[in-house]
Amino acid sequence: MRTETLRMASRFSRAAILCAAVLAAAAAPGCAHPAPRADLNVRMVLFSEPTSLSLIGNPDANSSQIASLLSDGLVGYDAQCRYVPMVARSWELSPDGLALTFHLRDGVVWHDGEPVTARDVVFTVRKVQDPATQAREWISSFTDIAAIDTPDDRTVVVRYKQPHADALDGWRVPLVPEHVAARDSDFLNGAFAQHPIGCGPFRFVDRVPEQRIEIAAFDKYWQGRPSIDGIRFEIVANDRTGYEALLLGQVDLMGLPPDLWRESLSSPRAASLARFVYYKLSVWKIDWNQDGSNPVFTDPRVRRAMVEALDRPRFAETVMAGLARPAVGSFLPESPWTDRSIAPIPFDRAASERALDEAGWRRPPGGGVREKDGKPLRFTLMIPATSQDIVDRLGAWVQESIGAVGADVHVEKVEWRAFQDRRRKHRFDAALAINVFDATPDQFDLYHSSARERGFNYGGVADPELDRLLEAGRTMTDLTARQDIYRQLQARLHELEPMSALFQTAQPVVHDARLLGVASSPQGLLAFDPGPRAWHWAGTDSNR
Amino acid sequence: MRPELWRRLLPAWPVALLAAAAAVAPWLPGNPYRTDLGAVFTAPSAAHWMGTDGLGRDVASRLAHGARVSLTVGFATAAGAILVGLPLGAVAGYRGGFWDAAVSRVIEAALCFPALLVAVAILIDPPAWLRALPDPLRVAAALAALGWTPAARYLRAEFLRLRGSEAVLSARAAGAGTLRIVALHLLPRSLGPVLVSAAFGASAAALAEAALSFVGGDTPTPTWGAMLLEAMRQSGRAWWLALFPGLALFATVYGLNGLAEGIRDWLDPRPQHR
Amino acid sequence: MSRVGRIARRLGTYGITLAIVTLIVFLLTAAFPGDPLEDEADHRLPPEYRHALRAQLHLDDPVGVRFARWVTDLAHGDLGVSSRERRPVATILRERLPVSIALNGTAVALIILLAAPLGIAGAWKPGSRWDRIARFGTTALYAVPVFWTALLLQGLFAVRLAWLPLFGTSSAVGISAWSRAADLARHLVLPVTCVALGGLAYVSRFVRTALLDATGGDGGRAIRARGATALRYVTHHGLGQAAVPLLTLAGFLIPRVVSGSLLVEEIFNLPGIGTLMFDSVMARDVPVIAALTLVTGIVTLGAVAAADLLAAWADPRVRRAA
Repeated sequence: MRTETLRMASRFSRAAILCAAVLAAAAAPGCAHPAPRADLNVRMVLFSEPTSLSLIGNPDANSSQIASLLSDGLVGYDAQCRYVPMVARSWELSPDGLALTFHLRDGVVWHDGEPVTARDVVFTVRKVQDPATQAREWISSFTDIAAIDTPDDRTVVVRYKQPHADALDGWRVPLVPEHVAARDSDFLNGAFAQHPIGCGPFRFVDRVPEQRIEIAAFDKYWQGRPSIDGIRFEIVANDRTGYEALLLGQVDLMGLPPDLWRESLSSPRAASLARFVYYKLSVWKIDWNQDGSNPVFTDPRVRRAMVEALDRPRFAETVMAGLARPAVGSFLPESPWTDRSIAPIPFDRAASERALDEAGWRRPPGGGVREKDGKPLRFTLMIPATSQDIVDRLGAWVQESIGAVGADVHVEKVEWRAFQDRRRKHRFDAALAINVFDATPDQFDLYHSSARERGFNYGGVADPELDRLLEAGRTMTDLTARQDIYRQLQARLHELEPMSALFQTAQPVVHDARLLGVASSPQGLLAFDPGPRAWHWAGTDSNR
Repeated sequence: MRPELWRRLLPAWPVALLAAAAAVAPWLPGNPYRTDLGAVFTAPSAAHWMGTDGLGRDVASRLAHGARVSLTVGFATAAGAILVGLPLGAVAGYRGGFWDAAVSRVIEAALCFPALLVAVAILIDPPAWLRALPDPLRVAAALAALGWTPAARYLRAEFLRLRGSEAVLSARAAGAGTLRIVALHLLPRSLGPVLVSAAFGASAAALAEAALSFVGGDTPTPTWGAMLLEAMRQSGRAWWLALFPGLALFATVYGLNGLAEGIRDWLDPRPQHR
Repeated sequence: MSRVGRIARRLGTYGITLAIVTLIVFLLTAAFPGDPLEDEADHRLPPEYRHALRAQLHLDDPVGVRFARWVTDLAHGDLGVSSRERRPVATILRERLPVSIALNGTAVALIILLAAPLGIAGAWKPGSRWDRIARFGTTALYAVPVFWTALLLQGLFAVRLAWLPLFGTSSAVGISAWSRAADLARHLVLPVTCVALGGLAYVSRFVRTALLDATGGDGGRAIRARGATALRYVTHHGLGQAAVPLLTLAGFLIPRVVSGSLLVEEIFNLPGIGTLMFDSVMARDVPVIAALTLVTGIVTLGAVAAADLLAAWADPRVRRAA
């Protein structure tokens, strides 16, 4: 028995030594970076499967980005989100602001060789307006169209029921070919959605569900064939897995979450990667419920005092790895509409305490939570349950910071859809969430009193001055007058602080250093002109 | 008997230690809630001997406070599962016939439910009496709602197998009542599988609590599972975030397992062949 | 009652069970706060369009009506349309079920293959050094959170050694069925290992306990008195006696083949049933939840029935009692 055990033990220890040797060998530095590329494709990471490739149907963020590569609209965005002519070479707005005329350019063809005509534009609009298409992103731009005419093959005249200052925005919609898609009875899931045809710089090649999507450069694109041969989107749900794939050279380009970015800064394996950061069209914000159910937030001084208690620069620097900056509202500093004279509310605990005192919330003699008319300064901050740590950290930080100025803050984490449900029904005190916005200056859905029921005005703001400015801004087609309106709007918002924008977040991007020409717009890396058309591998021309 | 019992229960010392830490946590030095933005993700040091997390909070005190939640969830889930599963399994196994059929149908129905759905259903908008419970007990209720099925099935199977054994037959012949037979002759021999599944179930519950954090609840109460989830997103970099809660979990599983086997051995001492 | 009649009656009972369970699932999901169309993007739709969409997806019908429609569709072999992905549920299942079965099935087989000897060894010499090492080792494997194991394995085999793929179910390879199968197998090695390692502890401790229970007691003493060697005694006699709890355990393991492993699926990017269920519950996607309940229900009931049948056959006392 004893000897048997001993023999087993020595066998075991020999095996252990062997294992250790293997592991030690494996711990040696990883293989060197692969040789210069023969493959001129770019492999890019997507974190979730696009909902649809039908160009306009049932879109999510990923499918919109890919759709913009597959098919152009009449106009597009440049890197600063200004309108540039795409399929339309020029356009005019009638003096009364009700008719928009587009002149299509010659030489634009679909991926199957057919020319793009005005009929395709009309077809696209009809498809968007069809409820079965579920074209969520575009439909609100086309509901007010009274009529749409095509005097000839290259002209489209759109008549609106009322002037829309942002009418042009809807015409970024990717065009859909009538001669192909009209045959489909099921636009969302039929043949066209399986194999979309567009007029954009890339054409669809293949899709493996949940795994990858391949698109290839289109030779006959009207601005010239892109330099790269194509893009392969690898769908990787887990960001760390994607990061490892990038380090191994299995993918070329991806956006990183803040924690991985922080890690990559000091990681020797990531040292050879190119990297940059751009600010997205999103803010972290807190909606303060002003319907009176909790008396705390009906006073603008209190709302402002809450933000004054937050040391935002420090939080952005340390916890968010410098990938955020204090925000003022939903206007990015780079936007032409922003009033840059309005600065973010500075961190000033003393000012916060003074403001709360002035508003009637006083600390009791022995210290502790402030009170007013016998009621304590107490509220619940509702945060959504997501897979991101940042939400929990924001909640804990807000709780601690505002607690330091004498409030009793309770944090409640609510499942995502239940969170949206409660926000919509105004069943909360304060709600922290991220707000994604577009490049137009219109804030109607956020602050107009009618948006309390039908929009995103969760806090229940109802200010006549704001309403007037919001309505005027929507229909004012004169550029200078419109800018003035939005300056007044921002001033008023700054006075009222109905919703506090905490941070604007930045998106870090890392990629293979041999891939050149990668630039960003606030919309991301793909959905602007030139976008991926400017990408090229080192050693090749940027134009082919 | 006394020293015998102590020897059986000794393998559970890691759990006892953690439970003790949990009990005295509020009086221990260190604050699990105080953030220190200048010390985000620092490795173990003299100041924080288990390091800090993403907000600069002390991991050691979060571990101790987290033990309260995680251990409570684990024990409460296991207790709930046994409280519900044991009687059901006993009735089905001992009575047989109609009772067996009825209980078996209930068990089968419970097995068909997606566990995630039921847990979310209970936690997402709980009825008032459930909302009044402290968070860990609420989570335990959600997990035990379907978690009693293994205990019931194992006990039923054992009872079915053993109720025709000589010991039981002779006890019945001697005129012993149902309860006496069940308690003295059947239960001690059948608890083996139930205890093992309870021990693992408790630890699984502690981990599941973290997975269920997406459904809501109080934050930022630290729990082991939540710390492990944060560690998952940091892995490679903040190894201390994963190591210490992981060790705590390991100690809990190991200790509970030893406890389960010790109780089983005590209840039904058999001549062990060496 | 004849054998066939008994089976038919059992099947009928199962059908009723499934019907009741799916009805309750419908009711539960309907009672959740929040709504399948709760997305902000859907709020940008003008009201008429939202109503049209809701009508198309039958979202505002009373629960009973929705359930009745689902049952009648099911009778025609139609599993409905997912409200989250807006495409047929049957297609989604056809894509995802094979992945889950490949992953979990292999893992369960591996667990049983590895844990059985470990458990037998533990019952053969309980309290020995081997038993304690086995207990320590498997418990350590169990207690290490599965994502940690996954990341460690990924780090070692996919990154450092680059022997195995990092994620997904396929890399770009040739079209032949053989190379596709081999590719899939390569992609599954790490995920299967992760799932299997976690389950080892439970099953091996369980087997050990069940065998110890079975080999103690009067019958055991009598047989040992006849001089059978310890190991043979444990395996032949013990397994026979312990068949019942072991089969019950198997009855719990088999359904996991179509349902478990959410975290592993996420880390290795395997489009399986675990992530599907999670996403569907979060999105209140009733057709998918109902279909998944049906599938797991059928498998579960089948496993339970098989376990009970085999238990009755293996252990005459159970058969007599049943």
